[in-house]
Amino acid sequence: MTNTWVDLKNADVILVDGSNCAENHPASMTWINKAKDERGAKLIVVDPRFTRTASQADLFVAIRSGTDIPFFGGMMKYLIDNQLIQKEYVLHYTNAANLIDPGFKGPANLDGLFSGFVDDDGDGFGKYDQGTWKYQTDPQGNPLRDETLKNPQCVFQILRRHYARYTLKTVSDITGCPQDKLEAAYKLYATTGARNKSGTILYAMGQTQHTVGSQNVRCMAMIQLLLGNVGLPGGGVNALRGESNVQGSTDQGVLAHLVPGYIGIPRAGDHPTLAAYNEKETPKTSYWSNKPKFFVSLLKAWWGDHATAENQFAYDYLPKVESPAKHYWMALFEDMYAGKIQGLWAMGQNPAVSGPNARLEREALKKLKWMVVQELFDTETCSFWRAPGVKPADVKTEVFILPAADAMEKEGSIVTSGRLIQWRTKVADPPGIALPDHQILNLIALKLKALYAAAPGPFADPIVHLNWDYGKELSVEKVAQELNGYATAVIKDPQGNILANKGDLFKTFAMLQADGSTACGCWIYGGYFAPADDGAGKIMPASKRRGQKDPGGLGLYPFWGFAWPANRRIIYNRASADPNGKPWSEDKKLIWWDEAQKKWTGYDIPDFVPTRAPSDPGGKDPFIMRVDGRGGLFASLSDGPLPEHYEPVETPVTKNPFSSRLHNPAIQVWKTDQGKSIGDNLGKTDKFPIVATTYRVCEHWQAGGMSRWLGWLTECHPQMFVEMSKELAAEKGIRNGDRVKVSSARGEITMAAVVTGRFKPFKMENKTIHQIGMPWHFGWGGLATGDVANDLTPHVGDANTTIPEYKAFLVDIKKA
Amino acid sequence: MARKAMLIDESKCTACRGCQVACKQWNELTGWEYSKTVNTGSYENPPNLTPQTWTRIRFNEYESRQGFRWLFLKEGCMHCGEAACADVCPTKALKKQADGRVTVEPDLCNGCGYCSQFCPFGIPRLEMAGGVIMSKAKASKCTFCQDRTDNGLSPSCVKTCPAQALFWGDRGQMIAAGKKRVETLKTRGFTEANLYGEAAVGGLGRLYVLIEKPETYGLPADPQYPAVAMMWQNIVQPLGKIAIGGTVLGTFLAWLIIRRNIKMEEVE
Amino acid sequence: MNGQIQEAGHVFQIRWIPKYTFVERLLHWVNTAIFIPLVVTGLVLYLDALKPLAQGDAGQWMRLVHRLVAILFIAVPVIYGILQPRRLWMHLKEFAFEKEDLGWLKNAFGYYVWGKHDAMPPQGRFNTGEKINAVVMIISWILFVVSGLIMWYGKGIVSAELFRWMVVLHDLTMILAVCMLIVHLFLAVAHPLMWAALVSMRFGVTSATYAAEHHAKWYYGPKRAMELYEAKKKNQRHSA
Repeated sequence: MTNTWVDLKNADVILVDGSNCAENHPASMTWINKAKDERGAKLIVVDPRFTRTASQADLFVAIRSGTDIPFFGGMMKYLIDNQLIQKEYVLHYTNAANLIDPGFKGPANLDGLFSGFVDDDGDGFGKYDQGTWKYQTDPQGNPLRDETLKNPQCVFQILRRHYARYTLKTVSDITGCPQDKLEAAYKLYATTGARNKSGTILYAMGQTQHTVGSQNVRCMAMIQLLLGNVGLPGGGVNALRGESNVQGSTDQGVLAHLVPGYIGIPRAGDHPTLAAYNEKETPKTSYWSNKPKFFVSLLKAWWGDHATAENQFAYDYLPKVESPAKHYWMALFEDMYAGKIQGLWAMGQNPAVSGPNARLEREALKKLKWMVVQELFDTETCSFWRAPGVKPADVKTEVFILPAADAMEKEGSIVTSGRLIQWRTKVADPPGIALPDHQILNLIALKLKALYAAAPGPFADPIVHLNWDYGKELSVEKVAQELNGYATAVIKDPQGNILANKGDLFKTFAMLQADGSTACGCWIYGGYFAPADDGAGKIMPASKRRGQKDPGGLGLYPFWGFAWPANRRIIYNRASADPNGKPWSEDKKLIWWDEAQKKWTGYDIPDFVPTRAPSDPGGKDPFIMRVDGRGGLFASLSDGPLPEHYEPVETPVTKNPFSSRLHNPAIQVWKTDQGKSIGDNLGKTDKFPIVATTYRVCEHWQAGGMSRWLGWLTECHPQMFVEMSKELAAEKGIRNGDRVKVSSARGEITMAAVVTGRFKPFKMENKTIHQIGMPWHFGWGGLATGDVANDLTPHVGDANTTIPEYKAFLVDIKKA
Repeated sequence: MARKAMLIDESKCTACRGCQVACKQWNELTGWEYSKTVNTGSYENPPNLTPQTWTRIRFNEYESRQGFRWLFLKEGCMHCGEAACADVCPTKALKKQADGRVTVEPDLCNGCGYCSQFCPFGIPRLEMAGGVIMSKAKASKCTFCQDRTDNGLSPSCVKTCPAQALFWGDRGQMIAAGKKRVETLKTRGFTEANLYGEAAVGGLGRLYVLIEKPETYGLPADPQYPAVAMMWQNIVQPLGKIAIGGTVLGTFLAWLIIRRNIKMEEVE
Repeated sequence: MNGQIQEAGHVFQIRWIPKYTFVERLLHWVNTAIFIPLVVTGLVLYLDALKPLAQGDAGQWMRLVHRLVAILFIAVPVIYGILQPRRLWMHLKEFAFEKEDLGWLKNAFGYYVWGKHDAMPPQGRFNTGEKINAVVMIISWILFVVSGLIMWYGKGIVSAELFRWMVVLHDLTMILAVCMLIVHLFLAVAHPLMWAALVSMRFGVTSATYAAEHHAKWYYGPKRAMELYEAKKKNQRHSA
């Protein structure tokens, strides 16, 4: 989130799209209700299905799965056509005025493509050369701008032309939502464009788990920029993370292309040396220009005294990935399926249930030589080798199960969606021989180091020299100190004053250096474990604080825990003040320029150089992580600089109304074993006419490993089920409670039918499209058993992140 | 002592079932191992209150004039102001406390089951063990977490609710808050919004802010203290004791007279 | 008593005649053995003084005993009816009320309390009072069984309102039956005039003079008994 959970109470309109927050983040309703009760806020819920969140909505808008870009595109057209944008904000804080290379062309002109598309094998999918997707610049490299926003090549005009096709009629037809409903939603949300209003957009997997997922999110960012909502209380672009510490895990770089702190992992070939890496990956402007400091400090944290200026700070010890990094989830399993991967270490992960095309992924597991699973219960992944229908003698994988402690049984920190790091204590002992994950990894690391020290082989240095001194019984506090960042030597300022002694914990990442004098396991966490005041005079590590003071009453609670970066609660908060440093309105004041003290002050830590005046260079550029300091209405992703509607890979529609290109051209499409019973098969609407989506229920958790073994939760939702409209049920002769079979090109599963008025058929001009939905929590293990929903989902994903398209695919349904 | 009550704001409830599970956790009740629920086409489970399920969310889809609504109701013992269950309980296992809670002492319960049938809402459930002839039974129902509320804490469900839809406190304050909420809802277009339980059956200890009429939620519109209970407890039983006592007394008196009038020697 | 007999000086001889068969007596005492525990286990719910016995484990036992004995309560007459339907029917007919029973009602108080023998019209093998007792017992049996079975098995099957009425009915029936039982016990055990009743129910025989006095219609036959009765009444009128 750019904002925080509690900050939701400051919103005037809350737009929920691609999230069922009342279901999956129930505590969020406290703040949404506060907004409704205390400031008369309105809640808009956009979803194919009337959810538990929709039950709280002032306005419920039903759109077919996979049509969010038309919805948002239509909104952008509405805002532009009716002059409802926050003009001053857009002009100064976004790149609306920037001029784009004349060679750039968009889908309106290129029939669904952006300029630079290369399709080597002619299958309709390929890559973009982004050469024309750039600003026109002056000789110094500064972007050329037209502040009247009239130049046809300025971003604003390109935007206007791009979304001109997204008329109410077209959007209504492709989404299946009546025009008046769409217009009501646009009108209501547009009210947040006023200077004294702010609107927040909440989203989750409903937006991201599509082949256009990243572009869905781009839409929301663009709308928030157009309405001047980013950086304000009650505003922002707010991702509701799907796991209690997934924010923490992404912060730690647990993704194929990152190291901790959202720094790209070096790629073999592209980055032969540290200097090459720094040169290539460090922008000249924006706060990322400090990247070498973060990266070197990271290497220093990992290899300690063995990382010196002489050996490029142990750069050669760090494994490199291929270029581009590609071993995201599906690629991993495709390689596994092809027998290319020897072993898998699954920590609290249940791919047998949660992976797309799960039948294929379970087959892939059988190809492993060995697998280690760290788990609480005997999940489907633990037991894939003796799943119903599988003969254990046929599976050669050696499986090790390490019983793990659950969240309450260990100490440590967790990061919320709002980037808030809160330290938690252990309240119970784990049962039997179960150990916390950190201790399991500690024991493994210590053993590996010993083994390699005894028999080094060709290149054992990266392991033997690994800085690993957390104790035999791992001290979580020691790890926290490393993540926080500390001085490895005395640090002095140019005048010779001591800024930090060796071992001192840093209060901010601004102390990090690229010369080896600092170590930091995760630069954005800088300060989270350093001693801090809790507002009442008690000093303790920042993330342990539970201070109740709330200056300004906005619910920021700056003395409670630690929000990265640098305890800034609402990021890009420079944008909450106008170009002169005065809040856009008294109602939304957050930080402001204090002319007397010559610094930014207010209720939040400024996400800005505190002493940089509005009149200084860069004093009006709130988006400090972007090269030009301005919000990107036009911003390049691998599938385009502007969101354009493409249908999901499995779509019930044969024509895309916005162009003749049906699918996102920049995605990767797997084709393994197509035509076989298990394979990357894709279905068409003639055999599979119904749109399906998958989702979660409040009472179960993810792939069910934590909830299906518990009697109280199982009792609420004991079995797998599918929800469908009364109309579809009548067509198929299905009664409420009947057993039904749902099939896709990848599998067939059986479950109970929930016939409900919460799904209604989507009426297009020429046909009616039915949509059904099912939870993906179930598997054969535990008390609450059921078929695996992901047996149906396809092995296709977003063009940028490869997140699988779990949210829109094609099925058929019949009585069992 | 001021009467305590629970206010359930069904305009805020999102049916997360946190309350349903928190109740089970605090009161050490069992879940699926006991009830073996199945999905019969609804999110609602278990399908009824049971001896191991003292509160439960009901789901109801309703087409109101203002659009589709998904209505939720947290059902459980109403803790009536005039508690028929406590009145008919022959062992005082069910007791009406001074603060209005109707508590349960399972040790005293002999399983007669009168409470379950005299309750105007049909709430108390009997835990059966041992088959139909040998059965031992115990009455069970929501007690407003009597061990918590005895010690100044709120019931477990109230503490858990993540949507802050549940409140516990002085009944007068709960009613005032409920009425205020109803007024707010009316200004938002919920024309049928109402506060349920203010006066019925001596005033309920469980008050609801509803956004539709009670009948739409499956609640009785006008619940009554069962007249049969009143007649039984206040008329039949006392008069019966008088009748039996009177018969004994009358017979004794008659005997005193008879022995003077009738001598054994004169009898045939 | 001893002294009086000696003073009276005549030999006190009783001529015994059979009145109740073995089966009749068996049924009576079995019924007693069944009914007393039922009343006692039920009373613990009714009398505050007995409340400790109604609570907890003690109460569960009371319930259990009540139900187990209730099975016998239901079964015994039913089995008898299956095995001896004709005899049962004959018994039931003996308890039928006739116009003459009004006469007993008119004279009962004077007879039983003041000992006024002669006004009482002749009675059959069961006098009107005994018929009332039997009818009350039979009706109670029906009401107990119906209300009791519904209270036992009916939860969730019959409406709550019907259940509530059955509970009240069980109570009312109990009040009626217990009052009847109190009077029955008094008459059987303590009333001088009824001295032979207990003997006859225990041993099956009654005294001839007792029978001639108390059950004239049975002893003499209805016509002769009526004649004797009319004659007695005429004498009384003449003497008065």
